[in-house]
Amino acid sequence: MRYCFITFNSLTAAQRAESILRRSTIRCSLQRSPRWMEEQGCGNGLRVDCEDLHKAVNILRGNRILYKRAYLRQEDGAMEELRI
Amino acid sequence: MIYLDDGATSFHKPKSVERAMVHAIRTCANPGRGGYAAADNAARIVYDCRCIAGEMFECAPEQIIFTKNCTEGLNIAIRSLVHRGDRVVISGFEHNAVSRPLYALNAKITIAGRELFAPQDTIDAFESALKNGADAAVFTHCSNVFGYVLPIYEIAELCQKYKVPFIIDAAQSAGKLPVSLKKLGADFIAMPGHKGLLGPQGTGILLCTRIPAPLLCGGTGSNSAMQEMPDFLPDRGEAGTLNVPGIAGLTAGMRYIKSRGMGNIAARERNAAREIADALMGYGLRVFRGEDQIGTFSFVSRCDCEEAARVLAGMGIAVRAGLHCAPIAHRSAGTLDTGTVRVSIGVDVGSEKVKTVKNILEKVAHLL
Repeated sequence: MRYCFITFNSLTAAQRAESILRRSTIRCSLQRSPRWMEEQGCGNGLRVDCEDLHKAVNILRGNRILYKRAYLRQEDGAMEELRI
Repeated sequence: MIYLDDGATSFHKPKSVERAMVHAIRTCANPGRGGYAAADNAARIVYDCRCIAGEMFECAPEQIIFTKNCTEGLNIAIRSLVHRGDRVVISGFEHNAVSRPLYALNAKITIAGRELFAPQDTIDAFESALKNGADAAVFTHCSNVFGYVLPIYEIAELCQKYKVPFIIDAAQSAGKLPVSLKKLGADFIAMPGHKGLLGPQGTGILLCTRIPAPLLCGGTGSNSAMQEMPDFLPDRGEAGTLNVPGIAGLTAGMRYIKSRGMGNIAARERNAAREIADALMGYGLRVFRGEDQIGTFSFVSRCDCEEAARVLAGMGIAVRAGLHCAPIAHRSAGTLDTGTVRVSIGVDVGSEKVKTVKNILEKVAHLL
């Protein structure tokens, strides 16, 4: 399945992002980040539909919620970092 | 027992607090430490509390650090702002939770404003002290001994005018008076969860405008590969497992306040305090009263203050006597040698309980 994943510094930031995106009717789910995404160790992120990614990022910026990175997961399971 | 010691801790909590704590014990694991349902439940409960506190104190959820009490929050805040030997301005009504950490840092303390229920005197004294140069200011919102409400918005403005970072001790005001991090612009505001916010003991909140120096270092569930504490809020101030059942109870306490209206609760407490104070004055006792006062006051007994408190305890009334961990406040009021008996009204004290207290006073006032 193809989806995007946005990572955050803290669990609290990820929770706040989840709450704000849901209020904006963007479907998302809070998950632990895959280990390889987090150079500094454990972290949390939001899984979002790829077609919502840019809207989601704009909402986060508008609400001054700092995210770290965004990734795309391809159908075959490969993941790549996105420049947004 | 009629409990009149709310300044120490609220005792008759709403039933919802207990229910929330039991629910958390049964359903929560460690927040931020796993991706399974019980860890998610805990994370949600913690986040809910950050949100409701953020609404109440006008700040973002990330600006809230959970502590075990107000003292811990004050220690974090003071250690973050004050360096050894710094010049610090405090009010004449501070608790040892402020003065002892400053003393431990060998801070050069200036006490500003000793006069009770005299906001203009407090403002003038702060202006004069801040003008002379200070590295930080720490002041309480309400005196825990006398219930005096300090003019914190005016003092905050002065701190900003003289570019002095500042900390507010909201131990007695949180849940009873509006406290806004946004409007006050404080560097830190510390408060207990177990007093006016009606949460359980072992809970507290530190509101942060700046990144604090951690008092504890340890696991945060974030940046685990790094040996330094995370440099972001709230993780930097929350090493180790959080008190999730306590935080669940704190959320329930704040929801209760919201549902009844903070202003309504505070007005009821003030009225009850005034009635009891009137009765004590009627028996010739010296009561400290003023316009700017929450539902807390002190009186000077004719006998030793501890003896007076014992007499009242014998009649089923719980009050606190002595120095209330606030020798600076007692020195300001001239009661350091005698101590006082403090009456501090909580959310459960209505007209029936006030009537009972007055009836009891009629019987024992001559012994006080």
